[in-house]
Order: sequence, then C-alpha cells, then structure tokens
Amino acid sequence: MADTAMGGQGRRVFFRQGTVLKALVLGLLIVLIVLPLIKTVLFTLQPDTIKAWSDVLTGRLSTNLFYKPLANTLLIGGVVATGCVLLGGFLAWLVVMTNVPFRKTIGVMATLPFMIPSFAAALAWGSLFRNDRVGGQVGWLQGMGFDIPNWLAWGMVPTLIVLTLHYFSLAFTIIAAALATVNSDLVEAAQIAGAKGRRILMGIILPVTTPALVAAGSLCFAGAVSNFATPALLGLPVRMQTLSTRLFGMIEVGQVGRGYVIGILLVLISGALLWAGNRIVSGRRSYATITGKGGRAKRFDLRGARWPLFAVAMVILLSSTVVPVIVLTASSLAPSSANLFSGWTLHYWFGQSDPSFAQGIPGIAYNEDIVRALAITLALGLAVAFTGMIVGLLASYTTARFREGWMSAAITQISFLPLLVPGIAFGAAYIAYLGAPIGPFPALYGTFALLVIAATAYLLPFSVQTGRAVIQQVGGELEESARITGAGFLRRLAAITVPLALRGLFAGGILIFVKIIRDLSLVVLLFTPTMPVLSVLAYRYASEGFGQFANAITVVILFLSITATLIANRLQSKSQPWLQN
Amino acid sequence: MTFFKAARLGAAGILLASAAMADGHLSEMGTEELLPLAQAEGTVTVYSFTSRIGKVEKAFEEAYPGIDLQGFDISSTEQIARLRAEAQAGITNADVIYISDTPVVLTELLETGIIARYVPPRVAERVAPEFQNPLLAQRLSTKVLMYNEEANPNGAPVTNLWQLTMDEWSGRVVMVDPLQRGDYLDLMTEIVLRSDEMAAAYETQFGAAINLDGAANAGEKFIADLFANDVILVGSTDDVNAAIGALGQDNPPVGFTSYSDRRDNEEEGWALQVANGVEPAPGIIFPAVLALSAEPNNPAAARLVIDFLMGDESETGGPGLAPFYVAGDYVTRTDIPPHPDAVPLDDFTAWRIAPAETATIRAEIGDLILTLQ
Repeated sequence: MADTAMGGQGRRVFFRQGTVLKALVLGLLIVLIVLPLIKTVLFTLQPDTIKAWSDVLTGRLSTNLFYKPLANTLLIGGVVATGCVLLGGFLAWLVVMTNVPFRKTIGVMATLPFMIPSFAAALAWGSLFRNDRVGGQVGWLQGMGFDIPNWLAWGMVPTLIVLTLHYFSLAFTIIAAALATVNSDLVEAAQIAGAKGRRILMGIILPVTTPALVAAGSLCFAGAVSNFATPALLGLPVRMQTLSTRLFGMIEVGQVGRGYVIGILLVLISGALLWAGNRIVSGRRSYATITGKGGRAKRFDLRGARWPLFAVAMVILLSSTVVPVIVLTASSLAPSSANLFSGWTLHYWFGQSDPSFAQGIPGIAYNEDIVRALAITLALGLAVAFTGMIVGLLASYTTARFREGWMSAAITQISFLPLLVPGIAFGAAYIAYLGAPIGPFPALYGTFALLVIAATAYLLPFSVQTGRAVIQQVGGELEESARITGAGFLRRLAAITVPLALRGLFAGGILIFVKIIRDLSLVVLLFTPTMPVLSVLAYRYASEGFGQFANAITVVILFLSITATLIANRLQSKSQPWLQN
Repeated sequence: MTFFKAARLGAAGILLASAAMADGHLSEMGTEELLPLAQAEGTVTVYSFTSRIGKVEKAFEEAYPGIDLQGFDISSTEQIARLRAEAQAGITNADVIYISDTPVVLTELLETGIIARYVPPRVAERVAPEFQNPLLAQRLSTKVLMYNEEANPNGAPVTNLWQLTMDEWSGRVVMVDPLQRGDYLDLMTEIVLRSDEMAAAYETQFGAAINLDGAANAGEKFIADLFANDVILVGSTDDVNAAIGALGQDNPPVGFTSYSDRRDNEEEGWALQVANGVEPAPGIIFPAVLALSAEPNNPAAARLVIDFLMGDESETGGPGLAPFYVAGDYVTRTDIPPHPDAVPLDDFTAWRIAPAETATIRAEIGDLILTLQ
C-alpha cells in the first residue's frame, strides 16, 4: 500500500516537472536539427577545410568574405524586423481591435504577401523600378519617363522594402492571433477604471502581447537575414552581399568549407540575438489571457480616422499583394518580357509542344514533369503541415508549460535554429546527414521521406513559435483543474490544450503548408529527378530564360496557397465560436 | 550476424564484378548490339547543363522507341554538388552526365571515380584525340565579349579588352558574378593565365608598357581595373543577354556571355553579336563533355544516349546533334561541317582553356575577385 502510494507520488512529481516530456522533445529536436548541423561543423574541422575559418575571420579576404556582408545582414535583419512588427502590428490592431471598414478584407489580404515567394516580389520590384544601370529592359516607371536613381532601383533600400513587404504578414499572423486572445475582462476593467484607448493599448494590450511581438520580430529577423533571393536579385548589380548570398556563392563555386563557415557564423550571430530576445520574454511575468470565462471586448472606435487608416492599410496591402500578382500573371502571358502587357498568349499555360516556340516546351498543363511535381508538392505540403503541427505542438506545449530549466531553454533555442540556417545550407546538411545509410537505416537520398523530414525540421520554428504565442496564454488553471480531476497528460492535451490552441496551431499548419510549397532554397539541393517539386521547376525555367513558364508555375503556387488559406480561415471561424463578433 | 554481413558483401562483390565485366564489354558494342539491351533497360536518366536536353529527349525517343529518356536540366555547378552528394549516399540517379565546368569536373568527378569516360566506337575515329581525353567533348561552348549590333551597326564598339577599364565603359560592362558561376571564374582565370598577351594588348592600347602597380601580373591588373571601373555583376547569363542585347537601346552596355545565345535573338528581341576582333581575345572557348556515371543503372541505354548526342551519319549530325548545331557552338566531330552563320573556329580568336591548368589557380583567382568586390 505504502509502496503504491510512493510510486504514484513519485510518478506525479516526475510528470509535473515535465522531465520525460522535455527529454522526449529535446531528443527529437536533436535528431531533427542538431545532428545535421553538427555534421556541417565537423565538415569544416577536417584538416583540408579548417583553413576556411581563418580565411573567413582573419585573412585578407575576411573583409569582403565576412565583415561587410555581416554588416549588411544585420542592417537588413534589424530594419526588416522593426518594420514588420510595426506594419504587422498596426494591421493586426486595425483588424482585431478597431472598427476600421472592411476589417475582414484587410485581415485576409494581410496574410497573402507571405505566400508570394520573395523572389517573385523582387522580380516585380525590378519590373517597376529597374533603371538603366544594367541596360536591357528598364522598369515601368523609368519607361514612363521618371529617372529612377540607383539607390531606389538596386541595393539596400529596395531589399529592405521588398523583404519588409514580404515578412510583415508573418508578423501580422502572429500578432493578430495573440491580440484575438486578449481577454475582455482586462480591457473592460480598465475601461471601468476610466482608462482611455491609448492607455489601454500601452498598459494592457502591448504588455500582454509582448511575447507575440518578440516572437514576430524574431521570426522576421531570422527570415530576413537568411533570405537569399531578394538580396541576390536586387543587390548583386551594385555588389551588395549578405551572408546568405556569400554562402550561396561559395557553395556554388565549390568552396563548400568557406560556405559552411559563413553559415555557421550566421547561425551563431542570429542565435545570440534571438537568445537575448528570448530572455526578454521569459524574464517577464506570463499573462494567461484565455481563461475559462470572459468575452469579446468592445472595439476601439476610430471615429474620423476610420477611412484614413483604411487607406493607409490598403496602400500597404495593395503594393504587397495585388501589384506583384498582376506583374507575375502578365509575365506568364507575354511572349516577350519587353512588352509585359501586349501580345498575350495562353501557350505557356495550355499550349501543345511546338518546336518553333519556347524550344518545344508544352504549356504547363500538358507538361508531365509539372503535373507530377504538382502532385508531389501537394503531398509534401500536407505531410509536412501534419508532422510539423505534431512536433510543433509538443515543443510549444512543453516550453509553455514547463518553462523552467535548461531543457526548456534548449528546446526553444533549438527549435529556432533552422530559421538561421539558410535553406540551401540546411539542405546540404541533410544530404550529408541522411544521404548515406545510418546503421540499419537505408540512405534516404531522393526519397519522399527525406523531403518530409528535412522540411519538418526546417519549418519547425514556424509551428513552434506560432503555437507558443497562443499556448502560453491558455490558462494553466483549466489544465490544473483537469489534472485534479485525474485526467492524464494525453487526455489534457486532447481535451483542453489542443482545442484552445487550435487557432495558433492551425495558423502554424497553414504557414508550413504555404511555406513548403513555395520554398526553393531548402528543396533545391534535396530535389532529385525522381522527386520533383514545383518551386524547383519554376526556378529551373526562370534560370533557363523561360520566365513565362516559371511565372505560370508561380501563379499555380499562389493559387494553391491562397486557396489553402481561405479554407483554413473558414474552418477556424467555425471551430472558434468565442472569436466571433 | 557476421555470416550475413559476409554473405552480403560477397553478393555485392559478385554483382560489382559482373557489372564491371558487362561494362567493359558494353563499351565495345555498336548501336545495334546496344539497342536490345537498352530496350530491356527501358529508361535512362541524363543530367544536362543545357535546357536543350528537352529537344534531345523527344528526338531520342522517336529514334529509339521503348526507351524513356528522362532529361534533367541542371547547371554544371549544381550537377557537381549533386553528383558528389549522390556518390556519398551510395546512390546513382544519373546514367549520363552532360556538363561543362571541366576544371572542376576533372578533379572532383573524374579523379574521384564518380564519373567515367566513354567514347562511342562509332565516332572514335572522327573526334580529335584532345577532345577524347580525359573525357569526350561533344562541342565547344563560349563565354565571350558580346555587343548590341542594332546600336552598333558598324561593328563592335570595343577593339581591345583594356578599353573596358576606361571611363567610357565605366558601369557599362556586364557579366555574371564569377563567384556564382564557374564558367565566369574560368574566364577570369584564363585572363590571368594569358598575362603576357594582356600585357601586349595593354601596350597596343595605351602605347606604353604596363605598370602593374602592385598586381602580380597583367591579368590580375586587368581584373582589378575592370572591377574598379564599376563592372556590373548579375545573376545569370540571360540577365547579361537582356542587358546587352535588348532592342531599342541608345547606349547599350557590352558584356561576357555565350556566343550561341545569339540563336535566341529573334525570339527574345535581342541584337547580340560577338566582338570577335577584340584584342587580345574576346573570351574563352571550353568543352562541353559527355560522361557515364561510374556505375550507371542503365549502362546500355546510357551508352546509346552518348552515341546519339554525338550525332548520326547524316551531314549535320541529324536530330541528336540538331539542338547543338547552331552558330556559336562548335561540334567536335571532324566530319561535321562548321555552322555557316558562325565565325569559323579557326578564325574565332577566343582562348581555348586548358582545364588542368585552369584548375591550378582557379581558387586563387576566386579569392582575388573576392577582395575586389
């Protein structure tokens, strides 16, 4: 009898501290993320590659190889993160907390820019602002007679603008999800106490949503510093290099050692900054904002500012969604990129193979490779969204519920790591990691499983961080009550945490689906002929000068992403009655 | 356990040995003997650095029904990365490798045993020995100085490479970043290897001997001056082509790109033309090679593809060679007449790269360019 009681007690203590769960999640993350990266580090420590470290850090090359790109990278990360939190936060506030006109339209449109591949946005920028610096076609504005200066056509300024307009919707998604869970009790209490709108914003809403703001800023920072396509397209003509373009360049010319060293340093630097951000969040009190009771707060009345603020929102949203989509669509129809809006043809979509046209490549609807790639891409998106949500839920639940201890900190840090690793380096690491047989397990190179595992690991930060911002706010008291009534861990997870956190998790799932079906950098090395995916085919066509096919495929990707998001929005509003008006 | 391991190794050994024997035999076979074996294999995978593999695919499947050619258009640099990764994984995806970037290919793929040489017996007598060793070259491709012939109807606006370092061409020379595309790094390397010619050309241009001003040689001095003169770096040759070639420009730039891209002038609205008269040379000419993977999954079909890509017995090589029989590409087969619209190879003044020699200082030149950016 006594033994049993002791056993039960011991077991409960064990579970209350979450040690088993933490160890499990940590182990999983190590297998998924840490081991491939360690392989990369070990690679640079081999006798014939170790010199890469001194080349990068101290040699005569170091200024151009590392320090200048580093300065550019940090500038991009800082400015883009700030801009994204401001833009995304502003829009989230408008949509969730105010009576701005067409709230729902703004809400839907604000999630779209993230689905447009950043290389598409960069190309669209070029079509509009490109000046005659590199000769050839000038952009539309230059064509209209404006003299576009170099600083607006190339380099840092356009990179900052394009990346901010790309990543702000990520910040919006996270901040809006957090704002939607702000408990009306707090707001009403403040209103009763006579607080004005500004006071409520500064005193309640901002502090309560700080974890989400920091998470959003961190994600945007990490995304911006590892983005390759935009600085490559807009920066190279003025020789602006970032760490990611340097890394890509090094791997491209076979200097893999130096490339990996730059990648490792990028991971370390971003890791240090994010660790600081994490300290800020975990250093403050937590706010449980979804509790067993409470309802929707009254919206802020914007009064005379309703339409002006609406106009500001629309300028941001139109320039980040409609404009690039129009340019993309037009260029999937125009035979010559010289005349974007004339001589349109549907050949690139539905044409049969014609030897005299586009080297005999049929329209994408009749192209076997593309049709097969479409099926694989969809399967990959669904599989990764599913596995990502499971691992993301486990990790975010663990860190939110058991935030003390080194293991929780480690889980948070590790789940962030993939963001700091440029996709191409992550892909390379995974080939080194699972490309060869490990013990009894066969080599996964070229299999669907490899794509799923690598993509799950690579996109984990999105599911973990999105889920985390919400789960942290699910009241511990509900789970506490369940535990008192004897519900086990899985039961509590299934009956309380998951339903309450569904919005955040679902948002994570959508982000993952959308991100993987339009991801290029990760899959470009994992891709094998037997496992084609759409984005790589689009990239191949673009790099071979068949921009129309590339843009047509991109339009398909856009269509898939937008459809996915709209369906998800529908499901969410049905499953979240307490979030209705 | 040990027994099974030993048995497995033994089995693998037998398989390897028989494969090697079969391979040795296959390499002697003519197309008639290869065909039934290839049809039994049923499929063959080709990694190609040019999109023109699409046309080859169609033509091959028409010529040899029952064999599915899967052609994949993968840049040379990426092929190298991919083939190395596949070798590491112990997996063979490609049967045939069609690739440029020979300085890297020789050291990273051939010497490491990832790819293997194969010369179809049918054409062995009709390709010069220099293009059969160490790998079979199908044709020669180029990275040369091109200009816009619409804006310059009287010929190239540049007569000496050193003019590109003068004020007139400041910010008006376009090329792909040599640190992102191997063939441009090969071009820069060749300029350094040809330092003597560059020094002579300097004297022709400026009437005085070159002052190296701290540079190691005339080639490095040229590269430094070119970068100091605000050379414009873009991401792909098509960007270069559009910049130089687009119709309707008053003052178009010049730049380094593939001579054979001129074939797209009409379709793309370009006016690309090669500046063949430029001193001391307009750029480089380098081989595009064909190889087998070391252990192809479809050894007979792979050989058949290489045979097909070398052209048939008709005058211009038939459908296998048709995509490459264009002005600006130089087919290596001696019995195929040169393309009538191109500068004849003998008159083409571009430097022929020596891949082994390029490989020796290529990384060093990469470093030099790194310090200039």
